[in-house]
Amino acid sequence: MKDTSAKNVHGKAGFKSAEPIVTLLVLAGLALFPTLVSSPYSLHLMILLFLSIIMGQSWNIVGGYAGQYSVGHAAYFGAGAYTTMLLMQQWKIAPWYGVWAGMAVAVVVALVVGSICFRLRGPYFVLASIAVAEILRLSTMNLKDLTNGAEGILATEIPPLTIAGKVITDFSTKVPFYYIGLGLVVLTIVVTFLVQHSKLGYYFQAIREDQDAAHSLGINLTFHKNIALIVSALLTSLAGSFYAIYIGFIDPPTVLGLDISVQIVLICIIGGIGTIYGPVVGSLVLVPLSEALRSNIIAEAIFATGAVSPTSGVGVFLKENLAHAHALIYGVLVVVVILFMPDGVLGFVRKLTTKRKGERS
Amino acid sequence: MAILEIKNVSKFFGGLAANADVSFEVAQGSIMGLIGPNGAGKTTLFNCITGYYEPSRGEVIFKGNRMNGLQPDRVCKLGMARTWQKVRPLAKMSVLDNVMVGALCRTNSLKAAREIAMEQLQVVRMDGKAAFLAGGLPIGERKKLEMARVLATKPELLLLDEVMGGLNQSESEEIVLLILDIKSRGITQMVIEHDMKTIMRISDRIVVLTSGEKLTEGTPQEVVSNQAVIDAYLGESHS
Ligand SMILES: Nc1ncnc2c1ncn2[C@@H]1O[C@H](COP(=O)(O)OP(=O)(O)O)[C@@H](O)[C@H]1O
Ligand SMILES: [Mg+2]
Repeated sequence: MKDTSAKNVHGKAGFKSAEPIVTLLVLAGLALFPTLVSSPYSLHLMILLFLSIIMGQSWNIVGGYAGQYSVGHAAYFGAGAYTTMLLMQQWKIAPWYGVWAGMAVAVVVALVVGSICFRLRGPYFVLASIAVAEILRLSTMNLKDLTNGAEGILATEIPPLTIAGKVITDFSTKVPFYYIGLGLVVLTIVVTFLVQHSKLGYYFQAIREDQDAAHSLGINLTFHKNIALIVSALLTSLAGSFYAIYIGFIDPPTVLGLDISVQIVLICIIGGIGTIYGPVVGSLVLVPLSEALRSNIIAEAIFATGAVSPTSGVGVFLKENLAHAHALIYGVLVVVVILFMPDGVLGFVRKLTTKRKGERS
Repeated sequence: MAILEIKNVSKFFGGLAANADVSFEVAQGSIMGLIGPNGAGKTTLFNCITGYYEPSRGEVIFKGNRMNGLQPDRVCKLGMARTWQKVRPLAKMSVLDNVMVGALCRTNSLKAAREIAMEQLQVVRMDGKAAFLAGGLPIGERKKLEMARVLATKPELLLLDEVMGGLNQSESEEIVLLILDIKSRGITQMVIEHDMKTIMRISDRIVVLTSGEKLTEGTPQEVVSNQAVIDAYLGESHS
């Protein structure tokens, strides 16, 4: 009877076979989206969603697969953002060259982080990863000559993308950003898929499950943790560059702050750690949630019921305070998910569906 | 020919000598039993041999190479594999994936690793459970999974730390037969085991540890008839 606790992990064969078709349909839909919907706000939301997925997938490789809970990924995000922006603004180097430099800087940062943090395990690793990102943020604040310090950097103009003298696209609308974001989403998912189906993926997961066992089975821990971190840093840096060029403004708190690091981790925790679609699900939950709270949806809903008039004293009070409470509400919802869905939304749904199947048979 | 030589190995934890000046040799292809009361230093000695600890003094020589200071992954690559007294399944991975991780020590191809892993699962009669999550297995199967996983690393020397601990009669018998089968394939083994009958039956030679020191060493017959062993170990466990 004890055997029932051992789940048959290959039991979802029917679901698997439909996967490529579903994936293709979703991709086709996403590719057509900008031709059907032209509202800039819808495109903006989709781009935010893509950005979130890219960030989540990137962290997932080192955090979800290799089990190294970095809470300092703002370091790589900021490395990408700052390098690309600085090259564009100070030296007039186009961002599609800048991103490569951003990735190179992120790798250097990852090697430094790895050499310091991978000597440590568990909570010590987490604290060290936070510390390194904070050092980077403070340095960026203070190296005013290079980085413009707390004032940040504003992109004045993005040069159009040209290949062999022919203009492929200018960046006057959100559409090019939409497609670049979509491309990066596909890239990060493909990278994750390749990692999962390779020796590296097996080794990452073994390290996550039990470091000592992994070590005794011939796995070089330091080497593989560093590889996981470097891959993750490369992709996170791309996300940072993309963010910087899209928003057109960066400063130390927005691209190097601790909340970016936490945000990246949450995407995976909410969706489901160490799974390909976890960051997608996490983003589908978090991005609309934070947008809704930002636009003060709760106050609007209360006014819509007619119970309180927006112009009354209570109405004004609610409007102001609910807007400020959005971080709090966001935090409470996140804690609720973590408490009741320890394997994330994806794990929770899986559990529900396997239970149902179990009841039928 | 000795595949493994332990030369005056000591391991100190603060003031405590968990191993004190232990020396012996393990012959190629043999089974060496390692017995002693709880806290005698048996697991510590395994840790010193496999690179988890660096011996405070003395030397570990494997196939003529000095092993002191090598990391466990290097030790595994050189052909020495160990199981854990407290089993360490890779809980959220399938049984097959667990064994594949072992097999990947010798190959870069997932396909080849999958084949090696299935073979080893058949050896421990767990091929029917290949797709199950390792974390959900009962203890008997966890122990067998651990055996399949180390066998998949293609070791020349296998160190088994209480692989029969917590098992019932028939499960233990299965492991005993497995150990004898492994021996017939020419793999050298060191076995830590509490049950005297079992260790007498499978060992070619036995080393007895007490309080970190080697009390005696010999064939199973020599060891059980040794008065010091009877006093220090058998007397205790039979009372
Ligand atoms: N990492 C450690 N730090 C401190 N003491 C240890 C450590 N590992 C083992 N010991 C001590 O060494 C002695 C031998 O332990 P161990 O090798 O586990 O014995 P056995 O396996 O024979 O039961 C015990 O007293 C134990 O408490
Ligand atoms: Mg022990």
